[in-house]
Amino acid sequence: MSLMEMKQGVIEAQGLVKQFGDVIAVNNISLSIRQGELFGLLGPNGSGKTTMIKLLTGQLRPTAGSATVLGLDVKKDPVGVRERVGIIPEQETPPSFLTATEYLDFVGEVRHIPDVLKKADWWFDYLDFNDKRDVLCKDLSRGTRQKLMFTQAFIHKPTLALIDEPLINFDPIMQRKVKDYLTEYVRCGNTIFISTHILEIAEEICSGFAILHKGTLLHTGTVAELKERDQHLDDFFLSLVEKGTHG
Amino acid sequence: MVKLFVNMMKEEWRVHSTMFGSLSFALFPVMILGIAFMGSFLLPLFRAVVPPGYLAIIIHTIFLLLGIMVGGFGLLGMEVMNRRFGQASLLSYSARSLPISEREIFCTFVVKDTVYYLILWVVPFVAGFAIASPFISVPLSLPLLLLLTLTLAFLTGLALIFFLSTVYSRSKQAFAVLFVIMLMGWAGLYLYTGISTAALFLPLQLFYAFSYATFLAACAVVIIPSAIAVVLFTSEYTDTTKRFKNAIAPLTKKLSFFPYPPLAAKDLIDLFRSGSFIGQTLFSFFIPLGLLWFLLSVLARFIPPGDVLLLFAILTGVIASTMYTWLTMFDTFSSYTCLPVSVPVLLKSKMCSFAVLQVIPATFIVLVSIASGGVAYLVPAFVLCLSVSFYALSVTVWLTGLSPSVLVYDAKVLLLYLVSVGIALLALIALAFVNPYYAIGSVLLFLPAWLLVKASFTKWDMQDQPVF
Repeated sequence: MSLMEMKQGVIEAQGLVKQFGDVIAVNNISLSIRQGELFGLLGPNGSGKTTMIKLLTGQLRPTAGSATVLGLDVKKDPVGVRERVGIIPEQETPPSFLTATEYLDFVGEVRHIPDVLKKADWWFDYLDFNDKRDVLCKDLSRGTRQKLMFTQAFIHKPTLALIDEPLINFDPIMQRKVKDYLTEYVRCGNTIFISTHILEIAEEICSGFAILHKGTLLHTGTVAELKERDQHLDDFFLSLVEKGTHG
Repeated sequence: MVKLFVNMMKEEWRVHSTMFGSLSFALFPVMILGIAFMGSFLLPLFRAVVPPGYLAIIIHTIFLLLGIMVGGFGLLGMEVMNRRFGQASLLSYSARSLPISEREIFCTFVVKDTVYYLILWVVPFVAGFAIASPFISVPLSLPLLLLLTLTLAFLTGLALIFFLSTVYSRSKQAFAVLFVIMLMGWAGLYLYTGISTAALFLPLQLFYAFSYATFLAACAVVIIPSAIAVVLFTSEYTDTTKRFKNAIAPLTKKLSFFPYPPLAAKDLIDLFRSGSFIGQTLFSFFIPLGLLWFLLSVLARFIPPGDVLLLFAILTGVIASTMYTWLTMFDTFSSYTCLPVSVPVLLKSKMCSFAVLQVIPATFIVLVSIASGGVAYLVPAFVLCLSVSFYALSVTVWLTGLSPSVLVYDAKVLLLYLVSVGIALLALIALAFVNPYYAIGSVLLFLPAWLLVKASFTKWDMQDQPVF
């Protein structure tokens, strides 16, 4: 992390717009996320959270506006961005005909990660799916696929990870484990950007948050501020979204 | 059953129209109608060169192949749908959540496929011919007969492939034995009795001379294999979980001469483990080419055998270019969105894998040249085949990027493909017919192919990847 990146923020978005035909999925969003934050992008289903992550990781090209991630322009250098960050997409998409081990080996080859299989061993143990390492991804359960996608996102130890619905397919034991991992990861100076509609998760692990509704940013703030006001995130979220819907 | 059928029809329409827009897809049958209408005016010209009986063989064989291809998609459809639609659920899999048996769903699926593709392909084709018939002095009864016989030709292909696919899902050994018996029976009949394949193709015989006996026999050829398929049908959900040793690392090392070895290794693994290497080679390459060779050998009575070989090389090249879809069928860009891989890199890698697969058509055309006694034309045939294949590939990549098997159903894309490839093919056929050795000039096609591929990298890198 360079001094410049620390100053300007790990993620900087300025007036981002994404339009699909007549639908404006993301409408003029500006955001700044600092290093060491565990930032939650919250919003109801269809609010534009996934589109926002896709824009920030160069999977989609913005209709207007600009964004930098780790100092790289997402429009000009999307591959550079994906090289330096870890990404877990909304739907787990490991290739059908590779086994879990092969997929991680493949990721290692593409990302040029030395000793990737040794690193994979640690993850197979940590996320408790050692017995599935030689099974084709198409035959894995959703939970196991999510574990695999979690592993591929963190196996190269990126300084920034962008995760769409991080806990969606995990059982309570695995949810706890993953939450602990994310919290510890941020404590080490890394940054995590998650999108979720499960407010309990956001309230428990996020430091900063933004609320998105119908593609528009309704609020940015910190969980600490809410606590100071003795307010719960879900009450705050519901009141804002209701205002956004009726206003 | 009726409700399920109606909803499956709606679903099939929405699957297609979601992929490339309702209007584009709605225009597809209109385009088929237009092509048939305009093509009908060329009939007098064709008749001057090719006897009408042979033209009937060509058209009926095309619809037989269409039935085989539609059925073949049903064979691979489950996996393709899984890759394309992720967590989206289709009615074909609703036995898990609704009180409908899998056999009932399969039957409805077969009926739906039949009706849907008849409306999409057969009816517009015959309608185009029927509209043109008053202008070319053809009695209206002929299009009506054609509607019946083309429908039967299409259904024969569909029934055959459903039958074979259910046998395959029951027992791979039984499938292999059956396939060998069918092949030997066909070859034996021809060699020992001299009965041509065309005589066994009942829809065609029905077209030549309508009789109720032939009609009933043609219906039986459709109904019996379909009925056996329904009886033999077994759920696909009983697959046991297979385990594999890590093949990525050794393959990546072996393929180190490729520009992107891990991507090539993944392509190869996908091809073999999905079963598409053997399945596609058989159903999408050897069977269509076998039928084409049969058709072209009929033409040998009218044109020199060398020209037949060159014509076959051109058609082999076109079919060989579809091998690109084998490499993209089980692979969507969404698998790579979390990795530092750009669209041009993926396209380059797929094209390298495609180049390796061209060993199949290259070997095939050499063997056909030798077997048909056309060794003198081996070099032009070889060059023609590969030049056409790479040129058609470049057009495919330009028009469809990483989604050829989906975007080809877009009427605009298909029309552009047909025009771009068709013009080049006509020029090559003319060139080859003037002097077979002029066909070596087809190597010049590599230049526009290279330019198109270069432009494709920029085109597909500059836009969001289509999500299906």
